[in-house]
Parts: sequence; C-alpha cells; structure tokens
Amino acid sequence: MVFQRANLKKSRMDWALLAAIVAVLIIGTIAISSSVFFMPHQSKIIKTQIMAIPIGFTVLFAIWSLNYQVFQDQWKLVYTIMLLALIGVLFFGVVERGARSWYRLPLFSVQPSEFARIGVILALANYLDKRFGRIKELSTVLGAIVLVFPVFFLLIKQPDFSAVLVTLPIILIMLFCAGADVFHLSVILGYSLITALFPIAWTIVDLNPELRNSAAMNMFFRFSEFGINTAIFVAAVSGTAYFLWVLSRKLYAKISGVYFAGAALVIILGFLSGIMVKSQMKEYQQKRLEVFLSPDADPKGAGYNLIQAKVAMGSGGFFGKGIFSGTQSRLGFVPERHTDFILAVIGEEMGFWGTMIVMVLYIFIMRRLIFIAHIARDRFGYLTICGIFGMFMIYFLVNFGMLLGLSPVAGVPLPLLSYGGSNLVATLTAVGVAQSVYARRYALA
Amino acid sequence: MIEKQSPVERLHLLWIALFSAGILFALRVINLQILMHSYYKEISDRNRTQIIPQTAPRGRIFTRDGTAVATSKPSFSMVYFPQEGQNLKSLEKMARALSGSLNLSIEEFRTALYKSVKGLPVKLAEGISDKNMFLISEMRTIYSGINIITESRRFYPFGAFLSHMTGYIGKMEARDWEKYSKERDYTMDSRIGKSGLEKAFEKSLKGKDGGVYLEVDSKGRLMSILESRRWQPGSDIFLTVDFRIQKAAEDGLAGSLTGKGAVVAVDPRSGAILAFASTPDYDPNMYVLGAAGPDAERLKQAPEFNCAIQGTYAPGSAFKIVVAAAALELNKIKPEETFFCPGFYDAGSRIFRCWEKKGHGNMNFLNGIAHSCDVYFYNLGLKTGAMNIEKFSKMFRLGELSNVALAGEKAGNLFGPTRRLAKMSYWFIGDTLNLSIGQGELLATPMQLAQIASAVANRGTFWKPYFVDRVADADGNTVYKEEPEILSKVSLRPSTWDLLRDGLEKAVLEGTGRPARIAGARVFGKTGTAQNPHGKDHAWFVAFAETDVEPSRIAVCVLVEFGEHGASSAAPIAKQVIEAALGDKNSDEWLVNSGEQKKN
Repeated sequence: MVFQRANLKKSRMDWALLAAIVAVLIIGTIAISSSVFFMPHQSKIIKTQIMAIPIGFTVLFAIWSLNYQVFQDQWKLVYTIMLLALIGVLFFGVVERGARSWYRLPLFSVQPSEFARIGVILALANYLDKRFGRIKELSTVLGAIVLVFPVFFLLIKQPDFSAVLVTLPIILIMLFCAGADVFHLSVILGYSLITALFPIAWTIVDLNPELRNSAAMNMFFRFSEFGINTAIFVAAVSGTAYFLWVLSRKLYAKISGVYFAGAALVIILGFLSGIMVKSQMKEYQQKRLEVFLSPDADPKGAGYNLIQAKVAMGSGGFFGKGIFSGTQSRLGFVPERHTDFILAVIGEEMGFWGTMIVMVLYIFIMRRLIFIAHIARDRFGYLTICGIFGMFMIYFLVNFGMLLGLSPVAGVPLPLLSYGGSNLVATLTAVGVAQSVYARRYALA
Repeated sequence: MIEKQSPVERLHLLWIALFSAGILFALRVINLQILMHSYYKEISDRNRTQIIPQTAPRGRIFTRDGTAVATSKPSFSMVYFPQEGQNLKSLEKMARALSGSLNLSIEEFRTALYKSVKGLPVKLAEGISDKNMFLISEMRTIYSGINIITESRRFYPFGAFLSHMTGYIGKMEARDWEKYSKERDYTMDSRIGKSGLEKAFEKSLKGKDGGVYLEVDSKGRLMSILESRRWQPGSDIFLTVDFRIQKAAEDGLAGSLTGKGAVVAVDPRSGAILAFASTPDYDPNMYVLGAAGPDAERLKQAPEFNCAIQGTYAPGSAFKIVVAAAALELNKIKPEETFFCPGFYDAGSRIFRCWEKKGHGNMNFLNGIAHSCDVYFYNLGLKTGAMNIEKFSKMFRLGELSNVALAGEKAGNLFGPTRRLAKMSYWFIGDTLNLSIGQGELLATPMQLAQIASAVANRGTFWKPYFVDRVADADGNTVYKEEPEILSKVSLRPSTWDLLRDGLEKAVLEGTGRPARIAGARVFGKTGTAQNPHGKDHAWFVAFAETDVEPSRIAVCVLVEFGEHGASSAAPIAKQVIEAALGDKNSDEWLVNSGEQKKN
C-alpha cells in the first residue's frame, strides 16, 4: 500500500487537503474578481463571494467538529430535510435563468439542489453500508434507485439538469465503490445513457435544422414519437440481438443468450423511456435542456462560446496575459466567464502554469480524498468519501473536458473555483464531512 | 481494516481512470496553450480590436504668396461597431432612431448599418455638427456600439475662392471605384478629387490614410484606444496664382454689371496663371459632405461650368489686335494711311455699321485701334484679305486648346474662308467684314484671349498656361516642378509689335480703354463687345501692363457676360487686377524662371 501509516501524525485535521482547498479558493476568487470587472453586477458578485467564504468555512469547521457518524444515525432526518427543501423550492423558490431553484433570503439566495447532493451521498452511504451483505444482489441496486428517485424527480421538476447530470454519476460511483455487481451497474448505466441520449439527440437535431437535411437524421427524428416507427425500432433491435446471438452460436462463442436479451431489453426500454421523457417534458423544461445543451445560444452559433473560451486559453500562452489583463474574458468574449468558464479566465490570465497548478491542485485534493477513504474508521465513512470523491471527479472531468473540447458543452461549474455561493458552501460542507472522517480515523485511536 | 470491509481496489480503478484523464487533459492544455498559442493569440487580438481607417489630411493648396486656399480641419465622424446579438430588426430600429433625432436621411443610416452585419465597423455620418454631437453622446447610452472618432476633412477656408481651379472632392461613384479599387490606399468611403486640381493631382494630394486600433468589448463598446497608426499627409501644391490678384479678379467680377464672367491673368514671361476666376462659382466645401451634408439642395444646382476655358464667345473688337497684326505684318496698310468713318460702311448689298453711329471721321492706324473704329477695320480687313486674317488667327492660336491642365477646355471656333470651304459653303464679302471686327462665327475663350494679350506683351511667345508651380511632400521636399513650356512662337517684325503696343497703349490712354488707365504704369488694352443674339452683348477687355521696362508682368483678359460694353464693364475689372499685380512688390522677386527667361 502506498500509504505509510508511520507518516500519519496525530493530527485531527488534514492540513494538506485544507491548504489545497484554500489555494484553489484564492485562485478562484482572483479569477472571479478579474472576470466580473466590467460586468453590470460586479460588486454584488464579489460581495456574495466574500460572504460565502466565511460562511463556508464556518460550516466546514462545525461539521468537522461533529462526529460524521451522527449523519448515519440521523440519516432519516437529513434526508427528510433535504426532500422538504427541494419540495419547498418548487413552491416558494424564485425563478432564475429558467429554473425555479432558488430560495431568496434577505441577504443572499440559496440553491437547495447544491446541498441535496451531500444529502444523497450521506443517505446512499448509509443504505449501502446496511446492505453490504447483499451488495451483489440486483435488489440492492434497485433499492438505491428507489432511494434517490424522489430527489431526481424533484430536480427535474425545477428543472436543474446540471444537478441531475452530476448526481447520477455520483450514485454509480458509490455503488461501484461499494462493490455492486458490475453487470448490474452497466445495465443501469446503459439504460440511463440511452434514456438520456434519445431526448438529447432529438433536441440537438431540433436545434440544428441543417442536420435534418440528411435522410438518416430525418428518419431518426421521426422515431421521437410513439407510433408505427416505435414497433419498427423494437423489432429491429430484437432482430439484431437475435441475429447476433445466432451468429455467436455458429462461431462457437460461449456467450449466454441472457446477455443478448438483456442488451436488447436495455436498448428498447431506454428508447421507450426516452420517448416518454421527451413527450412528458414541459416546454420550459425543453427550453432549459436546450440552454443546457447550448448555453447562451446566439446568432453566432452554439459553438461560439466554446471557441471563445478556447481562444482565451490559447491566447494566454505559457505565462498568461497577467492577472486582471485578460482581454478575452474581461471584454466579455467568454460567456459565463465567472461560473462555468472560469478555467478560461485562469488559462488566459495565468497561462499554462495557472491551468496546470489548478489541475494539479484538483488531482491532489482527490488523491487526499482517496487517502481519507483508506483510513476511514468504518464503511459509512469510506462510502461517504467515495461519494465526495465522485462529486469532485465528475465536476473536474466534465468541466475540464468541456473546455478542452473533450466532452460536450454542459453548464457544470468547477467547485471552489467558479462563482456561486451555494455551490461554494456546499462544497466546503462536503470537505467538512471529509475532515470529520479524517479526524476520527482508525490510526488515531 | 477498511480493505477487508470494502472493495477499495475499485476506488483505485477510479483513481487510475482519473489520473489517465489528467494526463490527457495536460496534453490538451500543452497543445492549446503552448503549441497553438500564436494562433489563438492572433484570434484574441482580432477579437478585441477594431480598426477604424482615418483619412489622411489631403495636401494643402497654396497660392504663390503662401495663402492656403484648400486645407484640412478636424471633423467628427460617427461610427458603429457591430454588436453581439444585433439583427436587421434592431439595426432598422437604430436607423430610425438616429435619423429621427439627428434629422438626417434614414437611407444613409440604413445602408451603412446593414453593412455592419458582416461584423465590420461602419461609418454612419461625417462632419457632425456641435448640436448633433450632443445628441449622439446622449444616444450612445441607449444604443451601444455608437462611437465618435476624429478625422481630417477637406476645408476650403475662402469658400468659393479659386474654386474653378481647385475643384472639389466628393464621394466615389461606381465608375470611380472601378478606377481606384486597384490602388491600395482607397476604400469605398474614400473621397476623391472630382474636378480641377483636386482631380488632376489626386494621387499627390491623397496622402496615406492612417488607422486607429480600438479595443472593444464583446458588445462593441469602445474600451480604449490601443494604437494610432499615423497617417501621412498628402503633398502640398504651390500655385502660381497670386492671392491678391485673384481676389481683385473675383471681387471685380462680383461687382460687375451682371456678376457673371471670367478673368484670366497670366504672366507673359512664363505663362504662369496669376488669376483664374469664373462666375458663377460654387463653394467646394459643400461637396465634401455630399448628399449627406446640409447643402444637398444647393449641390444640385452647383455651377460647375468654367467660363474661363469652357465659355466660347465672339471676341468682338478684341480680335482687332489680330487683324491689325496681319495687316501691318503683311504690309497691307501704312500706319499713317487714313480711312474716313461716316458711322457705317456700304458693302453694296448691305450697310455695315460702326459702333459709333456718329462716325469717327478720318482714322489712321493708331486712332483706329484706340477708338476701335469698325469702319477702319472693315477697310483693313478687306485690304488684308480673309485668308490672311484666318491664317493669323490660327497663328494666334484661336481655335486651338491652350492645353491648360484643367478638364473640359473648349477650343472655340476658327472662322474664315478655309473653314467655310471645308463645310462646302461660300464665303461672302460680308463675312470678311464681320471677321474684321471679330464677330460672326468666330468664337474664343477668355483663356485664348489672355494668351493673345500675353503673346503681344512678350512679342510673340505663346506659353502653355500653367498654374502649379511645384508640389512638395509633407517634409517640404519638392517632388514635382512645373517648367514653363513654349507652345508656339509668332515671329513678326519688331515694328509690327511696336505699332500694336502703341495702338493698345493709346486705346487705354485716350481711346475706348480709358477706364483701365493707371497712373505710373503703362497699360496696353483693347475692349471688345461680343454680339449676342440671345440677349445683351458680352463685354471683353484684354490688356497687359508693365511699370517701366519690357516685358510686361501681367496680361489679363476679362469677360463680363451680358456686360454690354467692354469699356464700362470689363475694363475697370482689368484695372483692379493689374493694380493688384503691379502693386505687389513681391511679384518681381517672385520669378518662376531664371534670368534668361527675363530677357525674353
């Protein structure tokens, strides 16, 4: 094992993790202040950021001082508060950018979906801990889905696709780390990918009318509604699966027919639920999905934002243009520059070094989380840290990948770096939980 | 330990996946930020900068005394930077609003604004008035993307002064663009010389346009000025025209009976034009802004007709100089020979009148020319013969272009038996009589008569009239120098020249040209009246003058349209012009030519 127990000091706080967190936060605050310089509400944004930092650290230290095991004991309470907050926001929340996901408080607004993520992690960690004996069973996986379903339902109601996109992989990662059957997980992954893929693909075709010029695409678009086409699709998939099964038999490949039947079933079920999701989606949800898929859609085309973000990073070069000197970001060419595209600001103003430092800091944070997972006192602690690790990992992969052109554009922020008070406090809360797990590790006993 | 309770190795699989992704990202970052840096840097610079071309100040035009008659002054232009999210609808709205509050034509705005769809900055209006500047600065808060820049604009400080020579500049038309699009420094917006000097010396005057590099944000708002690439001013033109003489000519024409006509004054020693006036004239300033300017209406009726080289009139009695020269040179008469003038001449079939109905009595050569006696010249003409008169008018370059470097010059019409024959028609004795006093089909421009006066003054040399002394670039280096050029020479006996001079001097001292008499100077002149079948007669006066020694320093031709009598309308103007020329102490020091020309 890479971790040397002897190196562990009798510290109650993982100072290395905390230092990395503070470093990212400082870089983020500098980048935010620079990017909002010419923006209309710049003083409000900076004020929120300045206010969120002490609140976040207060929460961090408060949770650190608690024994994290209290969350396992009181998981029902945590889970209920979370659901109530998500239900309440549908009634009392205010709409911002198409989603009803904000509580407006006298001094600031709170986005409960950011905190819901931690609730889901804690509840799921407890559930998986309890089900550890039967972890390989399908019922465990289905039970996990049942547990988190209300949260997903409420998130789609807002609708907050960003939260859905981030929370779903976290659940899969936690199931994976808990030791769930890989086949079950791939079925779930396949099913949810297909379910999500069809409406997204249809929306993309819808957004880009030029795509419909090709006969194949037009045909594909016709499948988006129930009818004779649905039957054709089901028959085609079943037929193909059967053909492949027969083919494998002829080649003496010993693959059970269950896999072919299962694959066909997953595709067909995913397709059917995709049509259902598409038809059930309200107009504003559809709109929100479009915005999510091509943020800030404008006459210059959906690719404009990404191109400008790339130009910002590329023009930064090795040493960057200097802090507070980025022309791309400060003059407004990079959209969402203080939130989802904050990395472009860092890349432009601090250059290659800035980008690499941020990347190394993130990987270091995640490495520390893996370490904490290792030394956790119990399985609940281990699973909780896995969830937090998964959260960081998804944010990191999606956001960096998006900016580097390796994953599709999605409105996902970078924790601790992007502007967003609720996200910052929620992330620091998660770090607080991690520190609590660290503080109550075995080695200390 | 936790390893026994949980599948930690799975977490390690995730770590490996994450680490691989990290390496992949790092490679991407190296590619993006280091390998592709220069590519993206260029895009980013292009993104934030907009270039506004700035017109270079056109070269100035100076008279020989150093007065600038065409110069440049700063002017404010309204430009529009294309914006994110603009569309034809929003642009149309802006065009309406701008034209509404600035009280300018909507069409111009619309055309300009629609061009911005391509993502390039456009110029919306030029030469903005102070009042509109205030309005625009208010509108900028509503319509972002509107900015104001300073440019250099052509300015003619004396308005219409010398306008027929300077010409004017204006917007390009389609056919101009065909011609200039090949030149590197021209854009569709460039102003070009459309007439006169501005057109003839377009390339020298133009200069090199500069540009301002502006930093703008994504909304097209001006953030800062990054760099100003200085323009290079055009070359200056130094004219031979003298401000005071020109002023005298223009004032004289303005104060004349009808205010219409032309004055051409040349230096008989070189052919340098000293004054060149033609009325009606126009203020070239109004062309600078063109149809967008406040003078759009006046512009349509702007008189571009250049009377001095385009107006052709019967020379009338002024032509008697040529007739006399022919008669004397060919020994057809003796100067002391007299003819009796009863006030008319009986040509048998028809009576030809003298302008003096009472008659002049006995007239010898000097009196005949001094009093411009028609009957004397009828006799002279008959004795000399129409063929000879025609030959001499050709020698004196009537019917020929003076080749002055201005567009549209007319050659007039040579009149005589040869020409008649060419037209397969007959020549009658009445034609000879008409020709003798410069009437009939004979037509000449004021420029041609000024040439004749100059040739008599310098005893036979026809210079090519020129008005550009030199062109000097912005640093003062002469890049072009015009040398006097002899077109032709008329070789007559000195006695002929002497007699002509005596006759013309007598005309001013005691004859018809008395209004041009100047104390302390020798003025030689001849009046003329061009019969005009369409209205009142046109008045001519041609003269040259010297203070003490030959050659004369100025030869002048004045034409007053519908001025009736040369003596009353034209001669006083010539007098003012000559006074201005002789009174100018610099005029002797200022010699275009070296000593050898002086001897000429």
